Amino acid sequence: MRPLLRILALWRGRALWLLFGLLVSLAAVGAGVSLMVLAGLSLAGWLGGLIALRVLGPGRVVLRYFERLTTHAATFRALTDLRVWFFRGLARSAAGGLGFSRAGDVLTRLVADVDTLDGLYLRIIVPLAGALLLLPALVVLIASRFVALGLGLGALFAGGAFLLPWLAGAGAAAQGEAVTAASSRVRIAALDALTGLREVRSFGAEGRMLARVQACEAGLFAAQRGMAARTALAGAGSFLCAQLAIIAVLFAAGADPLFGIAGLLLTVACFEAAATLPRAGALTAHTSAAARRVIEAAEQPAPVPDPPRPVPLSAGFTLRFEAVHFRWGRDRPQLFDALTLYIPEASRVALLGRSGSGKSTLAALALKLASPDSGRVTLGGTDLSELPASGVRARIGWLAQATHLFDDTIRNNLLLARPDADEAALWAALDAARIGEMVRALPEGLESWVGESGTRFSGGQGRRLALARALLSPASILILDEPCAGLDAETERAFLLTLNEVAAGRTIILISHRLTGVERLDRIWRLSGGRAVAAAG
Amino acid sequence: MGERDDYTTTKHWLRMESRAAQNACRPVFLAGLANTALAIGQAFCAAQALSRAIFHIYNISFIGGFAVLAAMRTLLGIIAERASFKAGVVARRRLRSDSLARLLSAGPSLLRARHSGELAMIVVDRVEALEGYYARYIPAAFLAGAGPLLVFLAAAFTDPAAALMLGAAGLLVPFGMALAGIGAATASGRQFIAMARLQSRFLDRVRGIATIVLNGRAEDEARALAAAADELRRRAMRVLRVAFLSSAALDCALAGAIVVIAIRYAAVLAPTELGQAGLARAFFVLLLVPEFFAPLRAFSAAYQDRLHATGAAAELASLPPLPVPPPTLPVRTVTANGVSVAFENVRLIWDPSRGPALDGLSFRVPAGETLILVGPSGAGKSTVFEILLGFVRPDSGRVTINGADIADLVPQALSRLTAWIGQRPMLFAGSIRENIRFARPEASDAEVEEAAQNAKVSAFASDLPNGLDTVIGEGGYGLSGGQAQRVAIARAFLKNAPLLLLDEPTAHLDPVTESDVLQSLQRLALGRTAILASHSAAAHAFPGRRLDIRNGQAVPARGVA
Repeated sequence: MRPLLRILALWRGRALWLLFGLLVSLAAVGAGVSLMVLAGLSLAGWLGGLIALRVLGPGRVVLRYFERLTTHAATFRALTDLRVWFFRGLARSAAGGLGFSRAGDVLTRLVADVDTLDGLYLRIIVPLAGALLLLPALVVLIASRFVALGLGLGALFAGGAFLLPWLAGAGAAAQGEAVTAASSRVRIAALDALTGLREVRSFGAEGRMLARVQACEAGLFAAQRGMAARTALAGAGSFLCAQLAIIAVLFAAGADPLFGIAGLLLTVACFEAAATLPRAGALTAHTSAAARRVIEAAEQPAPVPDPPRPVPLSAGFTLRFEAVHFRWGRDRPQLFDALTLYIPEASRVALLGRSGSGKSTLAALALKLASPDSGRVTLGGTDLSELPASGVRARIGWLAQATHLFDDTIRNNLLLARPDADEAALWAALDAARIGEMVRALPEGLESWVGESGTRFSGGQGRRLALARALLSPASILILDEPCAGLDAETERAFLLTLNEVAAGRTIILISHRLTGVERLDRIWRLSGGRAVAAAG
Repeated sequence: MGERDDYTTTKHWLRMESRAAQNACRPVFLAGLANTALAIGQAFCAAQALSRAIFHIYNISFIGGFAVLAAMRTLLGIIAERASFKAGVVARRRLRSDSLARLLSAGPSLLRARHSGELAMIVVDRVEALEGYYARYIPAAFLAGAGPLLVFLAAAFTDPAAALMLGAAGLLVPFGMALAGIGAATASGRQFIAMARLQSRFLDRVRGIATIVLNGRAEDEARALAAAADELRRRAMRVLRVAFLSSAALDCALAGAIVVIAIRYAAVLAPTELGQAGLARAFFVLLLVPEFFAPLRAFSAAYQDRLHATGAAAELASLPPLPVPPPTLPVRTVTANGVSVAFENVRLIWDPSRGPALDGLSFRVPAGETLILVGPSGAGKSTVFEILLGFVRPDSGRVTINGADIADLVPQALSRLTAWIGQRPMLFAGSIRENIRFARPEASDAEVEEAAQNAKVSAFASDLPNGLDTVIGEGGYGLSGGQAQRVAIARAFLKNAPLLLLDEPTAHLDPVTESDVLQSLQRLALGRTAILASHSAAAHAFPGRRLDIRNGQAVPARGVA
């Protein structure tokens, strides 16, 4: 229940829309029930009923139409807010990448689970409110003539509309979890198979991937079957309650036939208005599971929380590691063992080391994607832990090994690093990354589409686009993690020569396996044994 | 393809589908029809009981009959729910397997035009969205005709004039619904396209979230997302405004029928003048009104499902068809003497605006030899591999393996022949061991470990908490670029295929590891045919013939290494 309340709290901003929808819906329910009662009364000979009928009939139709429109409009608005809130939450926690939670799983939460939440308002809250309005109306109207019958019908109504759905919902909590988890597994399996189409084809794994998706799907069906069975039972129980109520009214009609007729129509109308609630029970379980997953993913803590009172950044950008100890996890090997490193402003430094020696981790520490177990990292003389992460990241640009190219144009991919960059700056960055000539030759130039993760270009070309983006960034410190991976030797040398010129006034940290000899460097460090050792140029 | 064409294929697809689903839907339909029949019986019992009460004739048997029918309807409800769920499962299972099989057989070339997130959405969400179409819409569509007809007949036997009123109101419904439905269907198709785009966009942004955050653009992206979601909402409301009109038409008819019939009995005849039998008839007809409209309301509620189905059907109908397996040509002497490869004047254009990727490329690799492709990035080296892997077909020219045209080989035969190490190896979520075993699922643990040893995976895996059983995230998270590359190399070792395709196998490796891995690869290449593309100077020590490629053409060799 708590996740649902949390979601409702997030919808505060849309409270007016949601309340308005609710009111229209209640008016429509009221009109529908009055229509039935008046029909009964006019049958019993009350002519006023006929006149009222003629007014209420069309009124009910119009109200129902507006009820549907307003409740849906309110829901969509609320869901949009939720998606954006979710994305912001993800951005807070996932600066270092998605890690073990998979992109497919996150997507399920963002799209499918959020969609499931539309049921919370439309199919749970709105009908529940209608039923809450009808219950006292039913009891009071019937009890005005037959007290016992009124109370009895009230009990049956409460049983069918509240108790049974509640029981079904409480019992289905585990199944709700199972359904959301299973549907996420189906999506991950499908994404694995489709993102990996190249691997699947080259290893002839089509049959295996299909079987895997089918197995996940069987799990989904099993979970849904349990859910459907509960819903069916709750529905049958509620139906039975309604039928018992009608039978009771039929018996009472013996004592007062005219009242019986009106009472019968009222009873039928009330129970029918509450007929969707049995589904709402199981749906609550499903919705609540979806809400829990959405909240859980959005409220992951940031890897390195910002200090409560961040210190403003100073103008300096000397980067210093002081006796830093670090390991990624308790069961992971110690990466840094009292690492000390001093990178002065506007210097050019190379960091060498074997793969796995912690070169990329060093960048992660500098970017506040991780914090040292002991020791400290300072930027411009201030401890990173006292600085806001956004400020640090504006100061330090990073070309990671896994930098993502977006399925967008070259221009938009570049502008990500500096939205206000002008045409000349874009071309300068492309030229520096030795890709300007290729882009100029494209008929659509900067507007050429890059494709998913840059698939429309070769590996080396994609890498250079990412490099151009990194160079474009206005950051004072550039960390280039293997900028030349996948480049031919000639292009690599040309790029390194350009790098010697373009980055005047900035600090360049070159992370690499080896040097080519053309780099102009102030310092060369080799990472080994958890420390940085000065190496001969 | 025009919108009109799309519309026709979609309609055709839906028609074929509802025919295919008839068997599974029949129990639901029959249960629904029986339910209507029982409801007519209940109306009869209730009318009798009420009219007798007015005339103070006390008779419990009608109330008893009502109760028995109620119990039967309760059971029938459970049966119908089960059957409807089953119909949905049967259809979804069939469609999901079918669509995924079609995508898998179409292969990697799909990824050039469409985002994998979009494709996954077809297989997962589109098929899931069709549940309601099979579980509810198809049975409801049958029932919307048969159910009201049954009630109409019951009413006609009792009071033909009232039955005519009911029938007239009923006829207004499909008219109003059709009017609203046509508009909604086209709008819904557009909405689904918008939704697919939005979802691909989400997936792409979610995958690159680190890049976004580190560039300080999270807030801009969140705003863009809000704008896109808002646009989607406006589209959806446009569909719903029309779609809800069909429900309104139904409400109108229901209210109209009740008012007209109530007036007929109330105004023309006072209850006391009707007599008990006449009064019972009046009640009966009046109680039939809701039953008459119940199947129509179920149909109207399920109409949303049909709209969803239209959007999904357009996507599913447009998937590439499963290829008819060509007559299998035996590939000559594949295992005995190794594999020879030849390119003869091969041209391939990925994108007409960018010129050819391969422009009349010719070369030969005799069985058991190694060819080293050299050239700047973008020269067409990877395209050579993609052709040999069967991801694309050349636009002209011939590629042969052991003299047989590659176009004649079924994909399975080709994948058995080749082991490929690509530039961006895809690691699946799972353990390192599972990822290596992907190359050959039936391999023993010892074989997997040997492959891991050869590819220097063991060198880093031994430092991990669970060794080869360490679980890595999607996209190889938890491994460095070089480590992921070595897992891909281990796959090639394990696969043990006669033709090795090595596309920058040692990118991201440090010099020491690189030379280790190259040595292992040299061992692997012994007695096999291999094609290697690499920029690395170390790789050029690889024994073999060199071929320089520039702009998709072979450049006369400057020397043999």
